[in-house]
Amino acid sequence: MKWSILSLLIYFLSITTIKAQENVELFGYFESQIMGAKIKKEFYQVNANKLRVDLKSDLADNITFGANFDYINYNGKKQWNILEYLSNDITSTVPPEMQNLYMFPFSDKQFLDNAYIRINFNDLDLTVGKQQISLGTGYVWNPLDVFNIKDVLDPTYEQPGHNAVRLDFALGNRYTLNFLYSPEETWNHSGKLVQLKGGISHFDFTMTAIEILWRFHDYTHFDAVNMNFLELPEKRRILGASTAGELLGLGIWAEYGYNRMQYTKDFFELVVGADYTFDFQTFIMTEYYRNTLGKTDYRCYEFNDWMRQFTAEQKAISRDQVYMFLQHPVTDFLSLGSSGILSVSDKSFVIIPTLNYSFSDNMDIMAYLNYNFGKEGTAFSKATGNGGLLRARVYF
Amino acid sequence: MKNPNRIIRTILIAWAIQLLVIPVAYGQELTGVEIIKKVNELFNPATSYGKSKMTIVTTSGQKRTFVFESWSKDRGEKNLVRYLQPSRVKDQATLMLNHADDIWMYFPRTQRVRKLATHAKKQKMQGSDFSYEDMGSGDAFITDFTPVRLDDENMEEQECYKLELTRKQDSDLSYSRLIMWIVKENFVPIVIDYYDEKDPTRHIKRLVQSNIRIIDSIPAAMNTVMYNKGDNTQTEIEMLEIQFNVPLSDDMFTERGLKK
Repeated sequence: MKWSILSLLIYFLSITTIKAQENVELFGYFESQIMGAKIKKEFYQVNANKLRVDLKSDLADNITFGANFDYINYNGKKQWNILEYLSNDITSTVPPEMQNLYMFPFSDKQFLDNAYIRINFNDLDLTVGKQQISLGTGYVWNPLDVFNIKDVLDPTYEQPGHNAVRLDFALGNRYTLNFLYSPEETWNHSGKLVQLKGGISHFDFTMTAIEILWRFHDYTHFDAVNMNFLELPEKRRILGASTAGELLGLGIWAEYGYNRMQYTKDFFELVVGADYTFDFQTFIMTEYYRNTLGKTDYRCYEFNDWMRQFTAEQKAISRDQVYMFLQHPVTDFLSLGSSGILSVSDKSFVIIPTLNYSFSDNMDIMAYLNYNFGKEGTAFSKATGNGGLLRARVYF
Repeated sequence: MKNPNRIIRTILIAWAIQLLVIPVAYGQELTGVEIIKKVNELFNPATSYGKSKMTIVTTSGQKRTFVFESWSKDRGEKNLVRYLQPSRVKDQATLMLNHADDIWMYFPRTQRVRKLATHAKKQKMQGSDFSYEDMGSGDAFITDFTPVRLDDENMEEQECYKLELTRKQDSDLSYSRLIMWIVKENFVPIVIDYYDEKDPTRHIKRLVQSNIRIIDSIPAAMNTVMYNKGDNTQTEIEMLEIQFNVPLSDDMFTERGLKK
């Protein structure tokens, strides 16, 4: 606790000093949110307070420095045992002496989320440092984004920064060639990406090749040396493509990635989506996602499948799912909507009513509920926790 | 010998009479197409830069204020809008090409660029009474509407041409027709009435432009208000800064430019 307060003080002193420099913009937000879930007849809640401070400076005409620091603290139920979300069939396979290893902690943290320098030349942008990497056209799922996995209940929430060196070459007005290198302990283990982006008529497209070390875990074996679950790293090579455009008045997008694995079976991921805005301002969207790593029969879901989904090593436990979203601006500042995700493979469903309210110029409120309809053992079974989230955010 | 001062005075008076009479006589000969072309030229200079303050006022009197910069090139075919305030939307940007047929939005917190389909043009810009279509449609007055000149009328105490613009069959714009009052003196459309896409008798929005100033030899409205008749709300855009015919690179109007 002392260290947290001390680091916060140092941090404020640092940003005050930096702000005193010329040409440094200081902005960010504070958010307070409460999340709750009903687990086995008991309703648990955890409150999170997050302060994000952004720095941005144009050091010269063609050099930009950007960074942000996050300070997050948690109150309430800070230890969640993942086993409580799973059916008895699954948890009975876990030896009693290992049952305490599956606690998911909400620990206070402060960290440098992004810190990068961007240099713009005539036809080249070079970005070095911890930065956002956003790949693909999908709204909820991105087969090409091997760096992030979105929360399906809150897919637009910001993603963490990643260490990388990125080069974007402009090839005319509509084409760019991107190279990205995300360093790990060796060149062999580091992430590499080449991507061609372009446009034809009203369509944008990308062609992408990625190589990365995928750090899968076997959650049924604990590695006493590393004090973690047994890591099963293997090289993953992805060839993929994506597009976004318009067809018959609908906005459409697609994203595909074929994953060639070093040891395990190859698999592919596919996303196809469409959206439309009616004259009366109602917006609808749907997205289909297939992941051949997922299983078609929920009775075949294994403990490792669940753990890999909970720890965001794998985007979905079931093979096919459909996302639907509908939103209507009730007033200029209030939008109501609902999304739903259907696991086609196991016939389970979650519905997520949402509310977005602009309370003032620099404050907004967001809330959602998630209610699961699914048999025990399915992707969206009631056991996975009906609940919701209320978030208030002020920007400065 | 006649007094030279008297001759000069006579000539000046003759010129003044000509200056007063000729535009009126000429104006009577202008067709709807000619008038709307002049309006279009005025609305879409070769390039422009502006800094604007947009204030949304709801029925309950609540206000939201945004400050944004905008750049336009190729007579409104390319548009870029970048928000400066409030902090909530700082650095968010929208790129509209091909008269807003192609729209990309940039979200700085995730550094993600999302391509939007043309139906997104109907969406309100930051919850305002302006849609993306209203902001970036460029020369839609010419390409998407057929103009008919109606009887001249005074509007906002100024002598105006009055035009009715009916949407062409192949257009996908959100308005079935527009009624426009254009100041004869400078061709600024000071009032535009917008009618419902499906019901041409249903008046849904009114745009009023005022505080006309000559900037770089071009008359520009420093204040624009869009009144939404259906929702009973209004959005005002105040020009804080404006420049015409500024040099703008094509690189600005690309995905790379959007992220800068």
